[in-house]
Amino acid sequence: MAIFDIIGPVMIGPSSSHTAGANRIGYMAALCYGRPFQSVEIKLYNSFASTGIGHGTDRAIVAGLLGLKMDDERIPNAFQIAKEKQLSYYFRKSFKRDHHPNEVRIVFHRGTKDSFLVRGISIGAGKAKITQVQDDHVEFGGEHAVLIMNYRDAIGMIGFIGGVLGKHHVNVAYMQSSRNALEGSAMAMLKLDEECPIAAIDELKGHPDIHRVISIRKLNNEY
Amino acid sequence: MSIKEIPNRIRIRSMQDIRHYLKSYPFQGLTDFFVEYESKNRLLPKEEVYKRMQVTLKVMKESIEKGKAKENFTPSGLIQGGCFSFQNAFPQTVSLMGEWFNNVIASTLAVSELNACMGRIVATPTAGACGVMPGAFLTICEKFQIPEEKQIQSLFISGGIGELIQINASLSGSQHGCQAEVGSASAITASAIVALFEVSLDKIENAAAMALANLLGLVCDPVAGLVEFPCVNRNVVGSVNSIACAQMALAGIVSPIPFDEVVFAMKQIGEDLPASLKETSRGGLAITPTGLRIQRKVRDENSEKIQ
Repeated sequence: MAIFDIIGPVMIGPSSSHTAGANRIGYMAALCYGRPFQSVEIKLYNSFASTGIGHGTDRAIVAGLLGLKMDDERIPNAFQIAKEKQLSYYFRKSFKRDHHPNEVRIVFHRGTKDSFLVRGISIGAGKAKITQVQDDHVEFGGEHAVLIMNYRDAIGMIGFIGGVLGKHHVNVAYMQSSRNALEGSAMAMLKLDEECPIAAIDELKGHPDIHRVISIRKLNNEY
Repeated sequence: MSIKEIPNRIRIRSMQDIRHYLKSYPFQGLTDFFVEYESKNRLLPKEEVYKRMQVTLKVMKESIEKGKAKENFTPSGLIQGGCFSFQNAFPQTVSLMGEWFNNVIASTLAVSELNACMGRIVATPTAGACGVMPGAFLTICEKFQIPEEKQIQSLFISGGIGELIQINASLSGSQHGCQAEVGSASAITASAIVALFEVSLDKIENAAAMALANLLGLVCDPVAGLVEFPCVNRNVVGSVNSIACAQMALAGIVSPIPFDEVVFAMKQIGEDLPASLKETSRGGLAITPTGLRIQRKVRDENSEKIQ
């Protein structure tokens, strides 16, 4: 989008898509999960699966999950750091044409029952997008703070959400909502200029029809 | 005519757009224009934008030192301490063009090898082509002892030139082949070098146009899909080409085809290139008998790591 995409980003090599972008997916996925985790299952698709190892895609993703950014010189040692932090990780490969060439599916596990799915794609120049969180299809790349909400399909929910955000002076840059009429469930994804304050999140969570609120901060201006 | 205020949105698609903005608004030269451009696009104050370029330049300099400091190896065996042995090859080896020319080669190799070995680099404009700018531009900065401020100013200008390639074509090998990576790197490096000595948009444009034109058609055919061979050596081609084109432009040689049209040609060629020559490793050097042998070896070793 601009000059620092040309002279930059600062990153660990060798590939902006297969290393830096992969790292960013891991980093954003961990922000989506937002809790500590003990094990992750990582499925690499297509080009990530075929040439990923030679590009350090595997280590870059694990590093991202551990909170290391794309310019962190510890990325090559990500497996060692994971071991020290007692994070176990499993890799799988998949070659399917209907998936993006550089796609990853990450499933977080904590304890035996809890599992959480995040899917992401690397779109080149070190940029990446999260395309799925649990069952919800979304699209965001870290340029905005994001709120994902799951709630009962009921009249006035969007108004309630908008009201809470407005009260806390949060500006909405983009909004997407959908519903599953059969299940009577709905979801909304909002992109915000600034991260949603905790008080606003608590207020949203306090509504009896809102089951889940995921808040993800933006990555803008981080290397 | 009253002086117009600098607009809140700056959009560029061509060299003509840049000339129009410079003529119509009170920018303090080309660097100031691109700092404003970045500042407005990223919603960041100009000082922040400037500071960030300082950090970027610092990392670029460090990448040369780190790449030169030790022998770089990759598991594939495609990189085997080439830069390190190059540095120690003189004076026992004949020096064809003198010390500075060899410095350009050594610094380019250093950063490209460091990238292949998972070191920290500045993707200028991509990781695969990251050796060109430090190799050529920073070596010349060192030779002429250019002050840091001037280096940063030139980097902003070259970033702006690269932005035109990004907007009108692409910088990615998987879309347009190596011409989009090393070709673009060479073009923006040529423009940065000219800007060190003469902030003339005409000469900057000519250098970039000639450098990109020289590398049109360059394919992306990496052995085993790795950013190693021929990528590292091709970075040297990008460096040397950028210096030659900057020198020609400074001496007044004009590119008969304007930069914007060269970029358009690059895009067209990139679209015409078969997929086998766009980072898929299904053509060119990647499918030579030796290339395929290395690919099998790398795949076998990797499949042991992932079932």
